[in-house]
Amino acid sequence: MNEAISALMDGELEGRAADDALEHLRRDGEAANAWRLYHLMSDAMHGQRQVLSARFVERVAARLATEPAVLSPGALPGRTPLQRYALAAAASLAAVALVGWLAFAPQPQPQPQPAVAQAQPGAVTVSLPDAANDYLLAHQGFSPRMSLLGMAPYVRTVAERADESAK
Amino acid sequence: MSAWRSAALVCLPLLSALGTAQAQSDALGWLRKIQDATRNLSYSGTFVYQHGARSETSRITRLASADTERLEVLDGMPRELVRTRDTVRCYLPESHVVKVERRTADRNFPALLPGEVNTLLGNYDISLGEVRRIGGFECQGVLLAPKDNLRYGYRLWADTASGMLVRATTVDAAGNQIEQFTFTQLAIGRVTPDMVKPRHAANNWRVEDTSAAPAHLAGWSLNADLPGFHKVVELTRRMGESKPVGQLVFSDGLAAVSVFIEPLAPQREPLRPGLASLGAIHIYTREVANHMVTVVGEAPAASVQRIANAVQYRRP
Repeated sequence: MNEAISALMDGELEGRAADDALEHLRRDGEAANAWRLYHLMSDAMHGQRQVLSARFVERVAARLATEPAVLSPGALPGRTPLQRYALAAAASLAAVALVGWLAFAPQPQPQPQPAVAQAQPGAVTVSLPDAANDYLLAHQGFSPRMSLLGMAPYVRTVAERADESAK
Repeated sequence: MSAWRSAALVCLPLLSALGTAQAQSDALGWLRKIQDATRNLSYSGTFVYQHGARSETSRITRLASADTERLEVLDGMPRELVRTRDTVRCYLPESHVVKVERRTADRNFPALLPGEVNTLLGNYDISLGEVRRIGGFECQGVLLAPKDNLRYGYRLWADTASGMLVRATTVDAAGNQIEQFTFTQLAIGRVTPDMVKPRHAANNWRVEDTSAAPAHLAGWSLNADLPGFHKVVELTRRMGESKPVGQLVFSDGLAAVSVFIEPLAPQREPLRPGLASLGAIHIYTREVANHMVTVVGEAPAASVQRIANAVQYRRP
């Protein structure tokens, strides 16, 4: 089945085969995971490593705003089923991203203004990069690579903040 | 068949095996040389960290006699990290916060010790690359190719004179670059204690001390190991201003993956799993037994997810 999902992602399936694969995706959590994972892998290979970056959430939120019918594919004229499902998949991925990361803030902090807050006016303000930084800071010291690289990998613990301030 | 040809047929594979063993031991020698240089040299330099289409410049200074290192990020918001023998302090001047990570003496710090380099051979094919000029330095290439797709590979370039790492590239199984550290300027020696002092006095800043301490996280384990990865540390800590958090660290000798375990409030929406990445780091979160499990590691997404999905709680 994973081959079919991968083929679907590459736009190689048509008609009945595509319908079957999509149906499978909808019913099977494992398959849906694979679909998401393949997209992440594909993104990573194509240089889009900030999968849950501020811009990503922003972009999807903007897309959602202009595509109110995105969750009911039949309402979208002129698109193939595959395109409609791709949009739906993007939307559900964004939902996972938002819910997943909202939970990362143990309590609201007033100081940062991440894109999540911009994308969802009135939503709880969370310090998304700060929370990620805490995990990275806690993890980094245990990487044996430090004995080869010195503390250079620590730059990752704070790299995310640079984009925030660059806005 | 002549005796000569028979002998050649027997000996050639042997000779080539010996050659391979020799090349491998040369490569391991270079890894040790890089480690020694990283630990024993004082240096000051500017390096670029690239991941995806983005890059960021930082300055790093090490004073070997004091075992102190300072990292200052030059792009974007000012921030600084200072590492001494037993602490790492992260200064965030805009929010007036200093995060303190302590490395207690009884903590089993999983540094790649000299002599432990050999253990990497179980998970990586290690070989010498070409000699190439990078940033004005003549560099020896050392290649670590993963034996499976559960870990990334590394291409290291070390100054042939000093052994200092000039460039380190992380690649995936297909050889695509994931992230890269490159020194654009590097001076060895001539480091004074002033150069590794934090720039910020941090008076009246909020101090977030992680208070990490070795602990046994009763009931928590993995129901399946990730091949090549072994548990190296188990501890409790604070994170930001949160309640105590459990941390388990697994390593294959080069890459490390941390599992963080935090209690969730009883009344709430179910936590949906989520994956994020930053350079070679992947972060995956899911809910287990009313706890949030967050797995952070410099490993492919699938490996991080496999560890996360193996986390289980059994009432002790």
